[in-house]
Amino acid sequence: MVRRNRPCFVLRSGRLSEHRGPSVPTVSEATPVGRRRRPSGEPPPLPRDIHASTKWYVLALVVTAASTIAMVARPFFVGATDVDLAVLRAVERIRVSGLTTVMQRVNELGTSWVVQGLAWLTIAVLVVYRRFRYLAVYLLTLVAGTFGAFLLSRAIGRMRPTDVPILAGWEGYAYPARPVVAFSLVTVGAVYALVPSGTWRPRIKPIAAAAVGALVLARLYLAVDHPTDILAALAIGWAAPVVAFRWAAPEEAFPVTYHRGPHAHLDIGNRRRDAIITALNHQLGLTVVRIEPFGLTGSAGSTPLRLTVTRPDGTSLDLFAKLYALSHLRSDRWYKWGRTIAYGRLEDEKPFSTVRRLAEYEDHMLRLFRDVGMPSPAPFGFAEITPEREYVIVMEFFDGAMEIGAADIDAPVIDDALATVRRLWDAGVAHRDIKPSNLLVRDDRALLIDVAFATVRPTPWRQAVDLANMMLTLALSSSPEMVYERALLQFDPDDIAEAFAASHSITIPTQLRARLRDDGRGLLTAFRKLAPERARIPVQVWSIRRVAVTAGALVLVALGVGLAVAYVQLAGLL
Amino acid sequence: MTPASRTRAFIAIVLMPFIALSISGCAEVEGAAPRCDEARRLAVVAQSVPGAAYIPCLRDLRPGWSASDFDPQSGGTHFSLVSDRDPDHEIAIEFRAACDVAGATATTPRADGARTYLQLRSISPRYAGTLMDVFSGGCVSYRFDFARGPHIGLIDDFENQVGLLARRELALTLRTSYDVELGP
Repeated sequence: MVRRNRPCFVLRSGRLSEHRGPSVPTVSEATPVGRRRRPSGEPPPLPRDIHASTKWYVLALVVTAASTIAMVARPFFVGATDVDLAVLRAVERIRVSGLTTVMQRVNELGTSWVVQGLAWLTIAVLVVYRRFRYLAVYLLTLVAGTFGAFLLSRAIGRMRPTDVPILAGWEGYAYPARPVVAFSLVTVGAVYALVPSGTWRPRIKPIAAAAVGALVLARLYLAVDHPTDILAALAIGWAAPVVAFRWAAPEEAFPVTYHRGPHAHLDIGNRRRDAIITALNHQLGLTVVRIEPFGLTGSAGSTPLRLTVTRPDGTSLDLFAKLYALSHLRSDRWYKWGRTIAYGRLEDEKPFSTVRRLAEYEDHMLRLFRDVGMPSPAPFGFAEITPEREYVIVMEFFDGAMEIGAADIDAPVIDDALATVRRLWDAGVAHRDIKPSNLLVRDDRALLIDVAFATVRPTPWRQAVDLANMMLTLALSSSPEMVYERALLQFDPDDIAEAFAASHSITIPTQLRARLRDDGRGLLTAFRKLAPERARIPVQVWSIRRVAVTAGALVLVALGVGLAVAYVQLAGLL
Repeated sequence: MTPASRTRAFIAIVLMPFIALSISGCAEVEGAAPRCDEARRLAVVAQSVPGAAYIPCLRDLRPGWSASDFDPQSGGTHFSLVSDRDPDHEIAIEFRAACDVAGATATTPRADGARTYLQLRSISPRYAGTLMDVFSGGCVSYRFDFARGPHIGLIDDFENQVGLLARRELALTLRTSYDVELGP
């Protein structure tokens, strides 16, 4: 059961006219039951997963920090050394010549060339696969761990074991055991940065643990370090990077994958799928019977989904949904910073502060577009999956609609598409991302999707650019002459001249720019010839913000290079 | 605290040591050799050359002098001294089991039971060479290269700043204070 949106009045060429929005089902008509407020104290649909082991790792770090401070005090130092030497004496009793040779070979795992080789291999893979977040965490843990161990060793100044013959070479103070720190850091870092969780990580982790364990046993056997030196080293080299990776690059938000295409998509596994179903039922009253990824290749800013919900009469309805998570928030932030640096203050490029704000904004825009009668997806609201981390926004699914490039278009479709720009202007809104993939056609109606970039009360040139991008998109499937002729029915020639005077390569979405290049007809030039002559409109503005963001980016790059250089310099400390 | 601000806090915490290091102008990682009264730190120097009768250590540094590049390891220990009067020419100090004193001239011993040798490579325009303290089980060499003229004061300075601590004295301190046997 569907109903038509109530009519609304829009200004067209100075005259009020009636416009009817798209036919959409209401939320209550989709599924009226299921809504439920989450009581205080009840976990959200997908509680943030804090590994039980993370707490133990944090505890190990705290204990190590406390022990290190206590080491400065003579009684603790003496006590720890007594226990350490007792252990080493016990180990000494099992020494045999053949085993000693083996342990001396195993001890080479902690040598600089093994550690450096593993570290640079990991860095190379992370660079090749452009996993810069993991790279940053990896480099930071590597440098911080190595440098931290170096500082600790200077602060404590502990001697090597006495009373027991040392059977291998050593360098520097004993506490913490720096070769163990270095080997653990690169091994754990490689496991968490390179190995996908799920099937592979549980298999690889024991191998990494065995390698580190072998090095630990070898160093105890050879009496190069005290047991407490090694425990402190494991806290710095193993516990600290695990906590850092789980905190700064949580697997649920930044999964390690090696498939092609955008990396921003989240895995809709059983746990998340169940959480989405529960959230949509409790918060939006939707009874979801199927969730499937949809159009992943066309979206890097969210994880797009197609939902199938059942209505009270037993029939089903398809809906479109976008799953927003921290990774998408950060993608949006980098994208906007990039635009600010590259293009200056084109318009509002301030990033969103939280995932909730991102979902709220798009939901608001969907409702605004509906209210002004735009042919855009009807909003169904958004639901919270994990507070402040994951939200899913639901909207109408345009079943049977085709991308404009795949459809034959004629005058009615062109008129309808141009009318959407007219309506945007009248409502004081700019879509800001008009391109072939965001303009669908169904039953001779043009449908405008993806309103996430839309803005209210935009700059005048930004509104003009919406018209230019719409005309260019339409001309790809027809001719510039035809589109220009139809545009004159709804816009003044001066409006069209302004649109193409404001149109620069930076104002044209990447996909549209690529299609124009492939088309080869010089559509932008053709439109400029058809429209009255007008001087180009400057759209890039230098601002303090642009200078500051550019300077900040340069500092970040310098910091990244500095980290790599610092690691090379610190290699001598490993 | 939002996840974003937590991440920023994490990055700030991790970066703090580097920022502090950069601000303090100590981007190059260095470390000073232990002072003669720091028995606990000196033990590792003694362990680097088992059996050496004396251990090199720092007395009070005179104004304008700094110590760096402390690197103890099995087989020997290295550190440097540099004066702001000749910052480009540091004195490299090596503690090893033995030194080659061939061609060196014996000079006034710096410690009981030790012999001191001077091996000059150049007298003018620069006064450069190696001073060596040789003792039972070990040797400390001081490789210097000073401008002629100021060299007298500089040599006097570094000879007074680097002390030789008797191993048995260090072993006694470690035994009484830390209940640790230094070993041979």
